[in-house]
Amino acid sequence: MRLGFGGRSRFVILAIVLLALGASYIVYHQGMVTGKELYTVGVSFDGPVIQDPRFQVIRVDPDQAHIMLNQRALDAYVDGNGIIARSGDERSQYVKEALLSYLAKQDLLRIAEQYESNRAFPLRIEVVSLERPETELGIVTGQQPSQVTEPEEPPNPEQISGGESTPAVSGSLSEPALSVPDEIDAQVKKQLDTFEKGGLPKLSEALLSEPDIIIPSLTPPPMPLAQVMLVFSYVVPVLFVAVFFASSFTEERVSRRLVILLSTPVSSLQVILGKMLPYLVYSWIVITVMSLALGGNIPLSLAIFTPVALLIFSVYMIVALMYRTFRDLTLFSVLAVSFIMTYLVVPALLTGVSNLSYISPLTLAVEMYRGETIAAKEYFLATVPLYLIFFQALFIGTRVFNEEYLMGFKPLRVKMAEAINLAVDRNHLNLSAFLSNFFLLPIVFIIQLTSIIFVHNIPMPSSLWVLVIISAVVEELVKSAVLFVFLKNRIVKTKLGVMRLSALSALGFFSGEKLLLLLALAVLSKSAFTSAVFGGGLWVIPLVLHIVSTGSVGLVTQRLGTKYYPLAIAIGSVIHAAYNLYFIGVLG
Amino acid sequence: MREYLVLLKKELRSVTKEKTIILAIIVQFLIASLSSVILEGVMTFYDPNSVIWNANVTIRVGFVGNTDAPLLEYLRDRKILARPFSELATAEAVFHAGQIDAILSVPEGQSGPVNMELFLPKMEIKRTLILVMLDEPLKRYEDYLREANGVLVNYKNFDSKSFSTYEFLYTALIPILMLFPALVAGSIVIDSISEEFENKTFDTLISAPVSAGQVFAAKVSAAAITAVIQTLMWAGLLKLNGITIERLALVLVLAMSYTVTISFGAAIIALFFRDRQRAQFVYSMILITTGAASYFLNPSPLELLTKLSSGAPNISALGFILYMALPVAIGLIFFHLSGRRMLTSS
Repeated sequence: MRLGFGGRSRFVILAIVLLALGASYIVYHQGMVTGKELYTVGVSFDGPVIQDPRFQVIRVDPDQAHIMLNQRALDAYVDGNGIIARSGDERSQYVKEALLSYLAKQDLLRIAEQYESNRAFPLRIEVVSLERPETELGIVTGQQPSQVTEPEEPPNPEQISGGESTPAVSGSLSEPALSVPDEIDAQVKKQLDTFEKGGLPKLSEALLSEPDIIIPSLTPPPMPLAQVMLVFSYVVPVLFVAVFFASSFTEERVSRRLVILLSTPVSSLQVILGKMLPYLVYSWIVITVMSLALGGNIPLSLAIFTPVALLIFSVYMIVALMYRTFRDLTLFSVLAVSFIMTYLVVPALLTGVSNLSYISPLTLAVEMYRGETIAAKEYFLATVPLYLIFFQALFIGTRVFNEEYLMGFKPLRVKMAEAINLAVDRNHLNLSAFLSNFFLLPIVFIIQLTSIIFVHNIPMPSSLWVLVIISAVVEELVKSAVLFVFLKNRIVKTKLGVMRLSALSALGFFSGEKLLLLLALAVLSKSAFTSAVFGGGLWVIPLVLHIVSTGSVGLVTQRLGTKYYPLAIAIGSVIHAAYNLYFIGVLG
Repeated sequence: MREYLVLLKKELRSVTKEKTIILAIIVQFLIASLSSVILEGVMTFYDPNSVIWNANVTIRVGFVGNTDAPLLEYLRDRKILARPFSELATAEAVFHAGQIDAILSVPEGQSGPVNMELFLPKMEIKRTLILVMLDEPLKRYEDYLREANGVLVNYKNFDSKSFSTYEFLYTALIPILMLFPALVAGSIVIDSISEEFENKTFDTLISAPVSAGQVFAAKVSAAAITAVIQTLMWAGLLKLNGITIERLALVLVLAMSYTVTISFGAAIIALFFRDRQRAQFVYSMILITTGAASYFLNPSPLELLTKLSSGAPNISALGFILYMALPVAIGLIFFHLSGRRMLTSS
C-alpha cells in the first residue's frame, strides 16, 4: 500500500490542522503573538512601564497626548491617574479595556509580591459538587430580578421526589467540607505560579479538570464546550487517514490499475474492502493513540469513533468513485466533510442540555470523559444512521464498480443518475423505489441538520423561510431521484406507473423518517420536541403531503420530459414548503 | 494582448464550467457558517465571558450567610438572582427542588482570609455557566476584601473583556478570510499549469500563435480574479454581520496584492516541478515557512492587514508600498523564468 496522494486535499487538511494548532498557540500565549503593535498608546513620563507586543508605546506629556488623541495618532493615554480614551470612539474604548486588563494583571503581580498571601488573596472558595435529578434546561431565562427577594416558599415536596432518582448528595453538608488551611495556601501558591507564567495551565489539564479551590483573581473561569473540542480532536486525524484512502483510490483509478483488478476473479466488494481495510486499521491505531494521549477509555473510544470513521470513509469512497480528477475530489470531499463536521459537532454542543444531542456520537465521547455511563439505546441512536450510510455506500460502490462507470468522464448529475440506475434492481421497481428512499433518509437528515447551521448567517425571519425551502427542495430531490432515473431510462412510461412509484417513494421516505424518530423517541422521551412531532393526526397528513408533492414532481417530469425536472422539483418544493410553513404557523 | 484576453476567457470559463469555483464558494460559505459555530467555540477558549454575556441567561444562586456583605449586592449588579437563606439545609432543599442553581455559603465570624463554599450541580454546561457568571462579582468582592485589609489596589479590572473579541476579529478572523482565497488561488494555479504538462496539452497550446508567458499569465489572472471576487464576497458578508473593515479599499487592494504574489509564486513552483503532486507539496511547505518567517518583518503582511482593517494609527506607508511592489517583482521573475524554461524544455 502506498501513501502517495493528492496535494490540495492534503493542503486543505494541513491548513485546517495548522489553524487548529495556531489557535491553541494563541490560547497558550493569551493573544500575545497576534496583533503585534496593534494598539498605539501614549504614556506620561511618570506613567507605568508597558511591556506587551500588542502595545506600541509613545512617551508624551499630557498636553501633547490630548492633541494626539484628538488627531487619532494615539488610541489611548495613560498617566498616573488612569487611562484616557476618546469617548464615543469604539476602537479607543477597546484599547482602553485592553490596557486596563494588562495593567490590572501587572498590579496583581505587584500585590502578590508586596503582601503576604492571606492579605493579597483574601478570598478562597471551595467548590462542592451536588447531584440532583436533571431537568430540561433548568436555567431560567429572562426572569426579573425583582422575584429574588420574595419570601421563601417551602419547597414543594412533590417536586423533590418527582425526579427519576432520589437526589443524592455527593458532598455531604453535614460534614465540614472545607479543606485544611495549609492545603488552601498550597493551592494559592500553585495558582499564583501559573498566573505569573502568563499562560493557561497545561491545555489538557485545563480541558479536563477544574480547580477545587477558586481564588477569584487567579483562577481562570472554565472554558465552556472544552470537552466538545477535546473529543473533536479525535476526528481530525481520522480525516487525514480518509484523505490518504481517497487519494490512493483515485490514483489507482486514474492509472487504470483498478480496472485491471476487475478482470481478476476478485469481487468488487472484495476490491473495495481490501482497499479500505488498511486505512481502517490506520484509523483504529489513530483512535487508540488519541485515546491514550487524551486519557480516554480505549474500547469505548473505538466503539464510538469507528462508525464516525466509517461515515467519513463512505463519503470519500463515493466521491472518489464519481470523480476522476483530484481537484473535484478535493472540493467535493471538503463540502461533504463540512457537512459531516457540522452534523457531529453541533448536537454535541448541547450535551447535558438537551437529549437531542444524542444524534451525534461525539456526545457519547463527551459523556465518556465525564465518566457517565452510556446506555445502549443512546449508542444505537447515535451510531445506527452512520452504519446505515456506510453499508449503503458500500452497496452503491459495488454496483457502480465497472469499467464504463469508473473511466467515464461525465458531469456530476449524469454520474449520479447512472449510479442510481446501476444500484436499483430493475426486476423489482416498486421495492427499489420504496427501499432506496427508506435508506436515503440518514443522508437527508444530515443535510437538513447542517442547513440549520448554514442559515445561521441570515437574519431571523428570512432564515426560517430559507430553511423551510432548503429542506423542501432536498426532500423532493431525494424522493424523486429514483423516479427521475426510471423516467429518463424509459423504464416507467405510464401515468399510473409514475403515480404508483411516487407513492411508494413517498411511503419509503416517510417510513424511514418515522422509524428514525421512533428510535429517537426511545432516547428523547423526556423532550418537549418529541411530543410536538408525535402529536395526534400527524401520521396521516404528512404521508399524504409526501405522496402529493412527489407525485407532482413525477407527473410534471413525465409530461414535460426529463429536461424539465428542475421545474418539477420547484413545483413539488413549493407544495412541500407551503405545507411546512402553514404547519409552523407562518402562513395562514 | 488580444491573445491574452482570449486565453483569460478560456481559463475563466474552464474554472466556472466545471462548477469548481461555484463549489469552492459554497465550500467557503459552509466553512464560514461552520466557523461561526466553531468560532464561538474558539471564542470560549479565547474568552469565555464574551460568549456567556451574549447568551441572555439568568442564574439563581442561594446565598447563605451575612446579607450585609457587599457580595450580595455585587451578585445582583450582575443580574444574578441571589436569594438569601438563613440555613444551609434549607438552601439545599430548595436546590434539590430545582429552584436555585447553586449555593454560596459564607461562614460568619471568621478572622483572616474568607473561606467560602460554592455548591454546584454536576451537570457540566450549567456548572460552567455558573462559574463564568460568578467570576466578576467574586473578583469585585475580593478587591473589596483587599482594600478592607489595607492592600493598595491601583487598577481594577472585572469585566472589561470584550476587547478580546475585538482582537480576535481583527487579528485572526478578518486576515484569515482575506487570505484564504489567495491560498486557494495558488493551489488552483498549480493544478491548471501542471495539468497542461501532465496531459501533454501544453505543446498543443504553445503551437497556437500565443507565447508561453501569455498562457501562464491567463492562468494566474483567472485564479487571481476568482480570489478577488471571493474577498469582495467576504467583505460583504462581514458587513451584513455588522463587522466593519475600516479602510476597506486599501485592505482589498492589499489582499489582492498578496493574491497575485502567491499566484505567481505558485506558478513558478509549478513551472519547476511540473507534476502536480510535488508542486502542491512544495507550495504548501513554502507557504507555511514564508508565512511563519514573515512574522518577523516589520510590518509583517498579517500585521499590515490587521492594522489597516482595524483602523490603527501610524501605518507605515513605506511598508504598504513595498507590499504593493511585491507582486510586480515576483511577476517579472516569473516571466523571465517562464521564457527560459520553455527554451530548455523543448
